Amino acid sequence: MQPSNDYPRFHDAGESGLLIEFGAGYDPKINAAVTAFDRRVQAAGLSEILETMPSFRSLLVRFDPLSCDYEALKSTLRRLLSQPAKTSIAGPKPRHFRLPVVYGGSFGPDIDEVAALSGIAAADIPDSHASEVLDVAMLGFSPGLAYLGQMAPAWDIPRAESLRPSVPVGAILVAVRQTVLPATPIPTGWRQIGQTPFRSLQPDAERPFLLSPGDKVSFVPITAAEFDKPWTFEVAL
Amino acid sequence: MTEGLLVERIVPGASIQDRGRPGYLRFGVTNGGALDQYALAEGQALLGNSHDAAALEMPGYGGRFIAKYAVNIALSGAEMDARLNDTPIGWRRSKTLRQGDVLEIGATREGLIGYLHVEGGFLTPRMLGSRSSHLRAGFGFSPTSSDVLPIGPQSKGQGEVALPRPDYFDLRCLPLLKGPQTAHFTPETLEKFLRDQYSFSPRRDRMGARMTPAGGPLDGAADGLTIASDVINHGDIQIGGDGLPVLLMADRGSSGGYPRIGVLARAALDAAAQMPSDEPFSFRLIDRSTAVDLWKKHQALINSLAGSVKPLHRDPRDIADLLAYNLVDGMISAKENP
Repeated sequence: MQPSNDYPRFHDAGESGLLIEFGAGYDPKINAAVTAFDRRVQAAGLSEILETMPSFRSLLVRFDPLSCDYEALKSTLRRLLSQPAKTSIAGPKPRHFRLPVVYGGSFGPDIDEVAALSGIAAADIPDSHASEVLDVAMLGFSPGLAYLGQMAPAWDIPRAESLRPSVPVGAILVAVRQTVLPATPIPTGWRQIGQTPFRSLQPDAERPFLLSPGDKVSFVPITAAEFDKPWTFEVAL
Repeated sequence: MTEGLLVERIVPGASIQDRGRPGYLRFGVTNGGALDQYALAEGQALLGNSHDAAALEMPGYGGRFIAKYAVNIALSGAEMDARLNDTPIGWRRSKTLRQGDVLEIGATREGLIGYLHVEGGFLTPRMLGSRSSHLRAGFGFSPTSSDVLPIGPQSKGQGEVALPRPDYFDLRCLPLLKGPQTAHFTPETLEKFLRDQYSFSPRRDRMGARMTPAGGPLDGAADGLTIASDVINHGDIQIGGDGLPVLLMADRGSSGGYPRIGVLARAALDAAAQMPSDEPFSFRLIDRSTAVDLWKKHQALINSLAGSVKPLHRDPRDIADLLAYNLVDGMISAKENP
């Protein structure tokens, strides 16, 4: 682990990108710094920036190298970094989603394995998991897939050795103190303890992806019979 | 919208592609789009299509298509054996198919990926602003046999036009930039990587292309397994746990944890996508400003395509100076006529 005063670090990511690293690994504080900086960059409305992508520990800034003054953009980003964090920034506010989850059975086929690895009794897994309030740390790997963190140390369990060819949309997957929520069917080495009827990808909606980095997510255990009820997912923060 | 082109047979992996869907990276959606963007632009220039028009991307081989109505097409990208009603037709040019015409597209002659365009582009459904197919995400459309591809209204056709073959099919030394994780590799590993020769294994798709290094697998990054997942760029070269490099392409995952030794200059992405499997190539390290210059040149070529289109036959109606031509010599004699 590098001393934190080495960060943030600027790297070229190809000729059309700048990657600003805030730390070496996943840490909720580093991730919060990424999310806050992303919000500040977005609020600044810099026309030379095509898009940004926040991840666990870094922010990618993409631009058109033929029309953008690269050095000027770097200075602008450094100036934004050195500004004191403001309490209010324009743009969409973080939201809180409470997701109903059916734990165990065919909805969570790996719950016994997770119980054995974490030391949490299988019967206690739903309440233990649902007591966490997690941050959306990043969206990535596959479209709309959300990495949620960081859970209590007991959840520091490894990924499985072998890949499961496909888990469904809404699968609740756990490993390394994180919950992963896929928005499309994916192959995975993460273990499935439950499933939510929440669909974070709504292709035809004006806002097709419901979750954004910085949003909060918590869970409510429900029964299999309740899975298809018309749920409301967003709650006041 | 009409149902314009019946797919009788098609290569697996063929897909509808346009310029892709920028702006969704933060939601885990990579830009995607045609693997050879130059070839996409060629088709648009040949048919006078908009920049948003979608084409059919055909990796390695084409298929057999039947025109349900008269349709104006163009062929671009990797040159393939093409026949119209059993008569060979040229590549990188436009053509008008009449109702019932059979277009047969065979194997590539050079390069890897061919494109079939229609006037107005294929009108398959849009997802997040693009018609590009992204198989793993379930976005877009990948035709199979007996599908009918929807197209828009067709004009009478502007006569056959052609474009010259671009030079990037000859590129065998790919320009590479250092990336955010290059420093995780030892200088010896980077030097070995830059000295070695490679070929793409036939195990490649729109997500990535696995390379075989002539000198054998590389040492991984010293702290490779502890690098936290972050964004993967189009053109990143990842060194997997087996020490083999993989070029990550349009439909890659948007993030990942394997360390990446460098990133291809954007100007070389089309050439890398067209590099045939098992063909030897190497890398050369360049700096950022050189990469920007290369991109500027590549973009300038793309922007000049519409102006580079040349008619194959001149239609007499288009020749404004027709009356000034002395079409037939020797008809008028000063001596014999009054």
